[in-house]
Amino acid sequence: MTTTAPEVSTVAVAPAPATRRWRRLTPWGVLLLAAAAGLGLQTQLYTGQERTVTTVLMYVGLAAAWNLIGGFAGYACFGQVGFFGLGGYTTAVLMVHLRWSFWLALPVAAVFVGLFALLVGLPLLRLKGHYFAVATLGVAEGLREVVMNTSSLTGGGAGITIPSFGDAVTPWLGNDGFYLLFLGLAVAVVATGLLVARTRSGYALRAIHQDEDAAAAMGVNTTLTKTLAFAGSAVLTGAIGAAYAFQQVTFYPDRLFDVEITVLMVVMVILGGAGTVVGPVIGAVVVAYGSEYLRQHLPTVHTLVLGALIVVAVILLPQGFVNYLREATRQRQFSLLENVRRYRL
Amino acid sequence: MSQFAQVTIYGLLQGGLLALVAVGFSLVWGVMNVVNLAHGAFVITGAYVAWEINRAVGLDPFLAMIPTAVVLFALGYVIQRGLVNLVVNAPIFITLLLTFGLNLLLVNGMILRYKANYQSIPTSYATQSLVLPGDVRVPYGRLIAAVIAVALTLALAWAVRRTRLGLSILATGMDRGAARLMGIRAAHVYAVTFGLAAAMAGMAGAAVGTVSTFSPADAGRFTLFSFVAAVLGGLGNMYGALYGGLLLGLVEAWGGNLLPNTLVNAVAFAVVVIVLAVRPQGLAGRAFYASRVEV
Repeated sequence: MTTTAPEVSTVAVAPAPATRRWRRLTPWGVLLLAAAAGLGLQTQLYTGQERTVTTVLMYVGLAAAWNLIGGFAGYACFGQVGFFGLGGYTTAVLMVHLRWSFWLALPVAAVFVGLFALLVGLPLLRLKGHYFAVATLGVAEGLREVVMNTSSLTGGGAGITIPSFGDAVTPWLGNDGFYLLFLGLAVAVVATGLLVARTRSGYALRAIHQDEDAAAAMGVNTTLTKTLAFAGSAVLTGAIGAAYAFQQVTFYPDRLFDVEITVLMVVMVILGGAGTVVGPVIGAVVVAYGSEYLRQHLPTVHTLVLGALIVVAVILLPQGFVNYLREATRQRQFSLLENVRRYRL
Repeated sequence: MSQFAQVTIYGLLQGGLLALVAVGFSLVWGVMNVVNLAHGAFVITGAYVAWEINRAVGLDPFLAMIPTAVVLFALGYVIQRGLVNLVVNAPIFITLLLTFGLNLLLVNGMILRYKANYQSIPTSYATQSLVLPGDVRVPYGRLIAAVIAVALTLALAWAVRRTRLGLSILATGMDRGAARLMGIRAAHVYAVTFGLAAAMAGMAGAAVGTVSTFSPADAGRFTLFSFVAAVLGGLGNMYGALYGGLLLGLVEAWGGNLLPNTLVNAVAFAVVVIVLAVRPQGLAGRAFYASRVEV
């Protein structure tokens, strides 16, 4: 397994404390600005656009959540949609059968998904590379089949409908409400990413990505660190799944456990730049918006074009946009063809 | 009893076919460390190629396997040489994404060309059955398909171990740097490997098209079957794909007979996850490919 060259930027001269504090706070300022921009944008949109942006925001959250385990830790989790679906279905079951409020069901579902991830993660995180990818894919597919076959609880293949009007405990939030909910979730996930990127546990995760044995030798508790990253990523994904389920009101296992959602998360993170905080956000905005644009303007061939774009993007920017930009500005080498040469046989 | 025998025979015949589907997938994974998500699409492409040949010149679908294999080999060779080789050194997600993009392209291209309808390649004999004592029926089509499939799988396994080309494939898979130093052209060998895998998948597709129906939407299902069979049997181990395929066919047939509706899939996935967690080298494999060097 070839990993990307370790990015050790040894700054010879330590910057002054004031500069350091400023540098540490800048990303948070940018995040706040982005959240404010999101709020401002809402007032300028009509209904159809608002729904599109809500979808984009959902994918920003999902991509940033996947980045925790897939980007920072480098574990290719291909079963992430399992957490998404499990969060959605847990919320639905709590709201339909126990008549819970959505605002109680969402955090409970997220915690439940996190516990599930802990349980699954302990044995599966011993696997590496493709083996881990396939095992997690198997978990997600298995979850879907379980949901399919417990129809008394989940409605099975016939779908389930969350009560959302009339005597419903929590009435449907409306387009505006869901926009705010997904904006809040996206900001929360990106903030988690920022926290992880700048703390000890984040450095531990990156060390695991680069060389797990070396990380363990340096005193990183690798099992604990990666299991927590896995569970954290699952909690956030589960919360977004819960919100998505309530937004859809009626849904089916095939939609909530759609492998394509996992793949989209991976595409967004990889194209944006895995292991960076801003990369997944850029990737999610570009891919989700581009996919929506293609769907509206080229309805018959949009998946075909999406496939072609993925192929081209993967070949030209294998390390992701943000990482490419960072290396290109550092080395003053902007040629994409030069970029292709790096991973060629 | 006769029902049990019927189900078992059906499972074995289906399993033989799945072995042919999975063997190329396992070969590519083992040699290049690439999980080819477009493998199922190759199976369906093969089915359409055989269907076109059958429609155009009336060639028997089992004979049409030969031109199908040639077409798919060329397709696989070009894809590997022109695309996958460009990112073969990148981290694993990249090759996964690339093959996912290829899968989208192939599947949606076929949907555009042939619509999403189910097709089948008609023959005069495929639906007739050999009746064994105890009223156990063996459809000729499935019997021929399974025999050809197992023979091809064994032939590939033999060729990889015993021919010069096969040995160079194995050598490149074990240590690419050393293989290149021995004068093996790795880019070409990789492309041949991918072409062989595509050809195997295409021939399996021709057989699938004869014994049952196919549509572009089935591509994902075949990729998943390959996953399961390859993991059960052990990666990069050609005989492993055979065991894995037969086991999967049997489990599906028995499970489909005993368990309610789709719960059998849940059982299959549970088995895969447990096998991976406990014995990642597969039921038949040796723990070699997990620890190889890549240069």
